[in-house]
Amino acid sequence: MRVLVIIALLSMGVSAEAQKKGNPLTVQQATLAISKVMMHDVVNPPAASRFYSYSLMGAYHLVTVKNKSYKPLEQLLTNRPTLSVLATKQKYDYEVAAVYCILESGRLLLPSGFSLEEDIAAYEQALKKSGLNQETVKTSIEVAKDLAKQVVVWSRGDGYFKLSTLRRYTPVKGDQYWYPTPPAYMEAVEPNWRTIRTLFLDSAQQYKPVPPTPFSKDTTSKFFEMAKEVYQLTKPMTEEHAAIAAFWDCNPFAIATSGHMMLGFKKFSPGTHWINITGIACNKVKANFDKTVFAHFMVAATLRDAFISCWDEKYRSNRVRPETFIIKNIDPKWEPLLQTPPFPEYTSGHSVISSASAEVLTYIFGDNFSFTDDSEMMFELPARNFKSFRAAAQEASVSRIYGGIHYRDAVDAGVEQGKKIGEYVVRRISN
Amino acid sequence: MIQRCFSALVLSFAMLASFKTFAQNPLFKLLTSAKTGISFRNDINETENLNVLAYEYFYNGGGVAVGDINNDGWEDLFFTANMGENKLYLNLGNMQFKDITKAAHPLLAGKPGSWKTGVTMADVNGDGLLDIYICYSGKLSDDLRRNQLFINKGNLQFEEKAAEYGLDAINYSTQASFFDYDNDGDLDMFLLNHSTKKIDNMELAKYRTEADTLAGDRLYRNNNNKFEDVSAKAGINQFPSTFGLGIAISDINLDGWQDIYVTNDYNEQDYIYINNKNGTFTEKSKDYLRHLSHFSMGVDIADFNNDGYPDIYTLDMLPEDNRRQKLLQLQENYEAFSLMQSQDLHKQYMRNMLHLNNGDGSFSEIAQLAGVSNTDWSWCPLFADFDDDGYKDLFITNGYFRDYTNKDFLRYWGDFKIKKAMDRQPVLLMDLIKAMPVTYLSNYIYKNNGDLSFTNKKTDWGITQMGHSNGAVYADLDKDGDLDLVANNLNGEALIYENTRTNANAITFSVKYTGKNSFGVGTKLYVYTKKGLQYQEVNPNRGYLSATSLNLHFGLGANDKIDSVVVIWPNNQKRTLKDFEPNKPYLIEYNPSLTTPSITAALKPGIFEKKNPLILYPHEDFIENDFKRQALMLFMYSKVGPVLAKGDVNKDGLEDLFISGDKNRVGTIYQQTPGGGFRMRDDLNLGDENVSITSAAAFADVNGDGFQDIYIAKGGYSVVEPGTPNLQDELYINDGKGGFTLGKLPIMQESSKSCVVPGDYDGDGDIDFFVGGRVIPGQYPRVPRSYLLNNDGKGNFTIVDAAFNNIGMITNAKWFDFNKDGKLDLVLSGEYLPITVFINTGKGFDNKTQDYFKDQPKGFWFNFEIADLDKDGEVEIIAGNLGNNSQIKASDKEPAEMYYGDFDNNGSVDPILNFYIQGVSYPYVSRDELNDQIFPMRRKFSSYKNYADATIHSMFTDAELKAANKWEITSTQSTLFKKIEGKYTAVPLPMQAQFSIITEIVVDDFDKDGNKDILLLGNKTDNRLKIGAIDANYGCLLKGDGKSGFSYVPQIVSGLSIRGDVKSVIQINVKGNQYWVVAVADHPIQFYQVK
Repeated sequence: MRVLVIIALLSMGVSAEAQKKGNPLTVQQATLAISKVMMHDVVNPPAASRFYSYSLMGAYHLVTVKNKSYKPLEQLLTNRPTLSVLATKQKYDYEVAAVYCILESGRLLLPSGFSLEEDIAAYEQALKKSGLNQETVKTSIEVAKDLAKQVVVWSRGDGYFKLSTLRRYTPVKGDQYWYPTPPAYMEAVEPNWRTIRTLFLDSAQQYKPVPPTPFSKDTTSKFFEMAKEVYQLTKPMTEEHAAIAAFWDCNPFAIATSGHMMLGFKKFSPGTHWINITGIACNKVKANFDKTVFAHFMVAATLRDAFISCWDEKYRSNRVRPETFIIKNIDPKWEPLLQTPPFPEYTSGHSVISSASAEVLTYIFGDNFSFTDDSEMMFELPARNFKSFRAAAQEASVSRIYGGIHYRDAVDAGVEQGKKIGEYVVRRISN
Repeated sequence: MIQRCFSALVLSFAMLASFKTFAQNPLFKLLTSAKTGISFRNDINETENLNVLAYEYFYNGGGVAVGDINNDGWEDLFFTANMGENKLYLNLGNMQFKDITKAAHPLLAGKPGSWKTGVTMADVNGDGLLDIYICYSGKLSDDLRRNQLFINKGNLQFEEKAAEYGLDAINYSTQASFFDYDNDGDLDMFLLNHSTKKIDNMELAKYRTEADTLAGDRLYRNNNNKFEDVSAKAGINQFPSTFGLGIAISDINLDGWQDIYVTNDYNEQDYIYINNKNGTFTEKSKDYLRHLSHFSMGVDIADFNNDGYPDIYTLDMLPEDNRRQKLLQLQENYEAFSLMQSQDLHKQYMRNMLHLNNGDGSFSEIAQLAGVSNTDWSWCPLFADFDDDGYKDLFITNGYFRDYTNKDFLRYWGDFKIKKAMDRQPVLLMDLIKAMPVTYLSNYIYKNNGDLSFTNKKTDWGITQMGHSNGAVYADLDKDGDLDLVANNLNGEALIYENTRTNANAITFSVKYTGKNSFGVGTKLYVYTKKGLQYQEVNPNRGYLSATSLNLHFGLGANDKIDSVVVIWPNNQKRTLKDFEPNKPYLIEYNPSLTTPSITAALKPGIFEKKNPLILYPHEDFIENDFKRQALMLFMYSKVGPVLAKGDVNKDGLEDLFISGDKNRVGTIYQQTPGGGFRMRDDLNLGDENVSITSAAAFADVNGDGFQDIYIAKGGYSVVEPGTPNLQDELYINDGKGGFTLGKLPIMQESSKSCVVPGDYDGDGDIDFFVGGRVIPGQYPRVPRSYLLNNDGKGNFTIVDAAFNNIGMITNAKWFDFNKDGKLDLVLSGEYLPITVFINTGKGFDNKTQDYFKDQPKGFWFNFEIADLDKDGEVEIIAGNLGNNSQIKASDKEPAEMYYGDFDNNGSVDPILNFYIQGVSYPYVSRDELNDQIFPMRRKFSSYKNYADATIHSMFTDAELKAANKWEITSTQSTLFKKIEGKYTAVPLPMQAQFSIITEIVVDDFDKDGNKDILLLGNKTDNRLKIGAIDANYGCLLKGDGKSGFSYVPQIVSGLSIRGDVKSVIQINVKGNQYWVVAVADHPIQFYQVK
């Protein structure tokens, strides 16, 4: 429910409550604006994590300049930019600059970044009425724009623009290997994502998961058992399982077909879901501005590394999806509850990134932090209650089995992989 | 002086002619419903429950049947309405019609609440009166779907007797056809049906093991007016994956038995059911056709080129204009495509296919060459001679009520839904449906040019009404001797076009056959005139949801005369008639005493005869996809084998063959034995294709020891890297004792090579080599390096700098003394180059193409040959190009332009090909492909609509384009260059030479008449999916007249039916017999002999 209200306010440009306090736009609101543009552009999940990390990087830098209790980027990250705040004659308001920097970075980076111009204009308009010193506001905007530019310049060296120079995924012969899946048989998403620059990790391979269960069509094999588990869970599917699977679907572009018609149904991607949870946690504890920016950037940076690590494994093991295996070997008319995402199966991306995010959030907000996740309401998915971040991550992970898109070992290994990445990030933050 | 007068005359005549065209009314005049009394409309009403998402064939429209129901000589009309009332109109003459539906039978209007589809008029019970059969479909109760048969009582009244006849089928029916499949004298029925099941996964092989009683097609045998379902035993596919949209009946192979062509929408392919003459059929689409329409809709079978063989034409959905091509979804998914191939489905592409019948069981698909491949979402094709010039023209209905394949809709409608959800408004199905854009189109009409091509005459002939048309028929409604047109429109009034042509003659035949087939369905008419032959079959079962006239109409132009008419009756008895006057209707009646058995002439042996292969080598290539490496190329460059070369390796006077390897074997020598066989030298390894790819080979004695050595050039694309040993050519030295050892070559690994040409260019008595660079793997279309290798006489080679080393992507080269100065000059062919001549100055090579060529068309030039074709002492050049049978068009005025450079500075080459569509040059790349190649374009074109009209100049700044490189194509035609007034001038080769890519050219006097002939071989399958397999060449033999004039020799005369991508051809002498060895990728090595 709350998300709906926020969106409505954002589109009006001004939050009545925030107006009194000064800065008329929150970090959550600015980040949501970014999320919406990515949803429009159908940005794939790994790419979304990259955009979040850059959008929040300048904001976090401003916080570290102001508040020495937060580690500067140079100490925090393995691969990091050297950012500097524009020298100005006037004072700047770092909160205004930070929020502005989120939007500005998104504007510069995202394919449809131009559509953030409306949000930026609305923000500028609101700042005029905010009671803040307009000279300060003006300077803050200059600082934000400069910082966003520095982030964008640094982003150019991360391998993203080299992706199109690399070979695309060519299906490998053999029933054990991934092949595009129904209904659209989309080409593999980001087969070379392992080449993207990490932030915390020393390489994509730092937390390489255990190899997957050996493939076998033998009905008594462990692999076949796993496939059968996925199949049988849908026959019939319990309401609870279905609700869990749907809640964590997070498919940015599920394609529905009818005759020659194809139609894409959109949702927030898994990374966005965890960014939203971060916002929910900040709201619950009424986190101050610095902590809010800190939490958002840490989760964004963690998501980024988690996706790189996971995608590295996906195209190494290159394992077949349950849907392909089941329709070939068990039931040709079977359909998973969720639409199978267009990339190899092992490890489960949602498991990796959820577990990693949960570790970082647990560090920031504490364990047994109960919360109500209502961030999927706009997709007609009712809110769910969780007693901790780890419990939420656990449910997100296992939801992929219920959804019929992952085998159990990919979830287990994914959770393990994500946990290690999260723990590593926590060590980097705390040491 | 005389010449001047003549040209002045021609000019004034041309002016007169053009003036006349302007002054004239269009050929067709659209009649109003007030005039005709035909106010029929097929209105559909979309509701939350009844709509295209509930039933996917909601916009597929209704049909028309034409026939004389009361035998008064005037053709009457029946229209089906999907939701509204069907109408039967009695023809009162003078283009006036009367609605007699209610009086004829209360149920003729259709069952209330039902969904009507196709309609047929046929004399089902054989009483000499046309009956009406109406098909039903829709996701409704079985009873509402029960098809109806209205038996004609002869008094303009009908009785519904479907159940009695056993034809009250409850299938999801599209259309029924009545014809005599078992030649027992009565009409049987084929019922075309369609699935309503959503099939999302492509486990199609599994679906092909099942039967679906409602979706599968049905064949019914007429047992004395009781129809028996014989589908299963007749071999009719019953798969749940069949979405039948079109049916045409014809004796496709002219064996005297009716065959069936069925089109299927979606992934299931079309079927050609060939009649086995024993009550069963065999599906032969893969055998007869090289590829098919993917989402096939209507179909017609007719002899459009007047050679006496029925041709097949199927419709699909590819738009003509650039904008709609970019806005609507095109299928380009290599994984889905190969998934279909792996499950034994045929190659299918989204465009209309015109399959020209070669008469030998093969068809050449030439819709693009003919100009009839792109007619948007099309339904009903009809071949008929509308202007009565003796060639059948082509009418096509099209239009789909909502563009639900619009890509912006696919990608961005989801935003709308979320916005609604955020505003907490319910999302209705109708919101979604109404969000789909509605586009009105006009139908197409093409004039047959008589040379295998057609010209769009929409405007000239007055077919410009915008709307959505589905079923259609032609008939001479007003009995004025020309063909009028009728089309059933969705949400609009039916179109009645009156033909107003005045300046030509025509003749109309109806036939009266015997027994229960009095209308003579299946009768063949061959009309012989001074100008040649015209062929038609009495077969109303063609088009879409409709039944055309039973009368056969032949145009005779202004003054053509009929010599004779040969009738072949359904019982295969023949009668020849003479003395016909034009512009009169004739009834030809069957009279057994005036007929003789029609004997199909046995095929005469061709010029070429395929022999048992002397070498057993079923070539099997690797499966590679070059587009995974460079997404924006047009063609793949990986497949180059099998490579052939000949030489005598053991000096026994017998020619031996080198054949490159494949997946399963290494390249080696096949040594000729005195007995006339070949022994494979399994002791040799002259190239393992798993390591490097052999792209060319040549025998030559490089060290002067009298034994032939062999040079093997390396190529390939997807798996090889420039600058690595995989691209290092190899020279194998003959040790004189049957062995070959690896000799030395300089390092030459920068490019993938296409050719190696031995020649003593410096006249020092030893063999040097030119080695042509084809492509740089991963860097197409950058210039690859070519090499000139100089021999020191002992077989040691050094690389010599020459002017042609970096000229372009070379496909072949020949050493030839062009200026007759005793020194070898170099002639080159290459992609984006003109045929180029480098003159050997003794000090180097100068590009003197300008001096020698008047015309320098830049082409794809896959190969060329030099020969003196007319014995005048001057050589001609024959060059093989892309041909005119693809989407890519290019001319001097409208060149195809390839801009390339690293536009986004990310280290990769971005090749952007542009060519003209309807007068403007557009990029061929789709928005998705572009966004994947150049990421910043994602910001530039934020929607498909924004990109739809983009040109290269809106994609890039002038500065960017200036910094980029550019290649050009100014001709795609395979061409003969002949010296006229001292300079080589381009002379186009015949139309049949333009059917496909030409990769091999052989000149010889094949028919032994003393004149040189040309044999063109080629095809290329591994192209972008939106180009598709280019495969209409089966061995194109051009007969020479000794004066550089060439005419196409039909396949049945040449005897050639070579399928697939020809990579090499070589002549070899075995025991005094000359064989042509033809190497085709993924086919066995073939041997041919000239008779």
